[in-house]
Amino acid sequence: MSEKVVNLEINGRGFQAREGMTILEVAKREGIPIPTLCHHDALEPVGACRLCMVEITHPNWRGWKGLVTACLYPVEEGLQVTTESQEIHQVRKTILDLLLARCPDAPYIQKVAAEHGVTATSFKKNEVQTVCILCGLCVRVCAVKGCNAIGTARRGIRREIAAPFGMPPPDCIGCTSCAHICPTDAIPWEDVNGVRKIWDQEFEMVRCVSCGRPIMPVTQLEFEAKRAGISPDYMTTCPACSQQKTLETIRTAFTIKRPASEDAVEAAS
Amino acid sequence: MQKTLVITPSRCTACRTCELACSFKHAGPAGLGISRIRAFMFGEGKNQILTCFQCDDAACVKVCPVTALARNEATGAIEVDEDRCIGCGLCSLACPFGHMAHDGRMAIAIKCDLCGGQPACATFCPTRTLEYI
Repeated sequence: MSEKVVNLEINGRGFQAREGMTILEVAKREGIPIPTLCHHDALEPVGACRLCMVEITHPNWRGWKGLVTACLYPVEEGLQVTTESQEIHQVRKTILDLLLARCPDAPYIQKVAAEHGVTATSFKKNEVQTVCILCGLCVRVCAVKGCNAIGTARRGIRREIAAPFGMPPPDCIGCTSCAHICPTDAIPWEDVNGVRKIWDQEFEMVRCVSCGRPIMPVTQLEFEAKRAGISPDYMTTCPACSQQKTLETIRTAFTIKRPASEDAVEAAS
Repeated sequence: MQKTLVITPSRCTACRTCELACSFKHAGPAGLGISRIRAFMFGEGKNQILTCFQCDDAACVKVCPVTALARNEATGAIEVDEDRCIGCGLCSLACPFGHMAHDGRMAIAIKCDLCGGQPACATFCPTRTLEYI
């Protein structure tokens, strides 16, 4: 495999990177902090949140410089990247200011905004109650799992994360990955008496064969076993019970039994 | 040759130094709840230690939807890429031995990674129950 190596500069320091890597990947590898909201290493970058904005320039660009999202911009030979400057800080502040206006009650957004020195929004607060920042992590994680049950609907100010036609999504397996990856806990779900409720749907849960604790929805078990190519029996025991079983197996397998003759001697005496 | 974490349970006193060393090494002074190794007390000579077997054909690797679990060829340990893990918990369910756990606070899977070739549990085990040889 021939991989082209490119040289670039981040904050004045020279680094080498594989061609095709993004600025964010290189910065992360080198321990240079770039704030992100919608990035996850396992998912395709989409540049939704714009928080990872950095400034780039190139010796051949005759002084032209521009702001790009670090998560999407591929590195190139001679690229000069600046991750911190007055202008970048101002851009990030504006983004967080807008997010605070959209989701004034989301604790995570309040925290990230405060870290960047934004404590209150200067815009008019959103009248519609929401904590969703439309980062799209849920949609992408659903796609990675192979379900594609949810997506974005509508455009502009009415844009939202939704199931097709606002109905319970037929492709949803009830895995709650979308809810877990959501940075602002915007997707509600609950497990009650062995029934999981998410996206206006109810899923019957598989119970641990030993202790009866609900583990995961029946639909998810079938889906995951098929995808991974393993027997569903692998996933029908909860971790605690599996551990107990291992312990018992090891204890019985490696207990050195006293020879019967010794027992006989003891009984006789 | 690749080294292995050798456990000799008959020497174990279930003092839990391994659990402390493990959680301290991986999470700072965060307590035994997130230790990757477990000591079980059943009385002298019967104590047991459980930690990941680093299976050749591992179920955890197979079920991971985002390939966050991969073998470190240098140590032979299966490691969790914490930045890739989406915390779905499938690996801990799929492990037939119950060796994987889920760090609720961080929402990621945790497992023994042999500390990248210097297992803290073996370093601190006072009775040589755990040896990295």
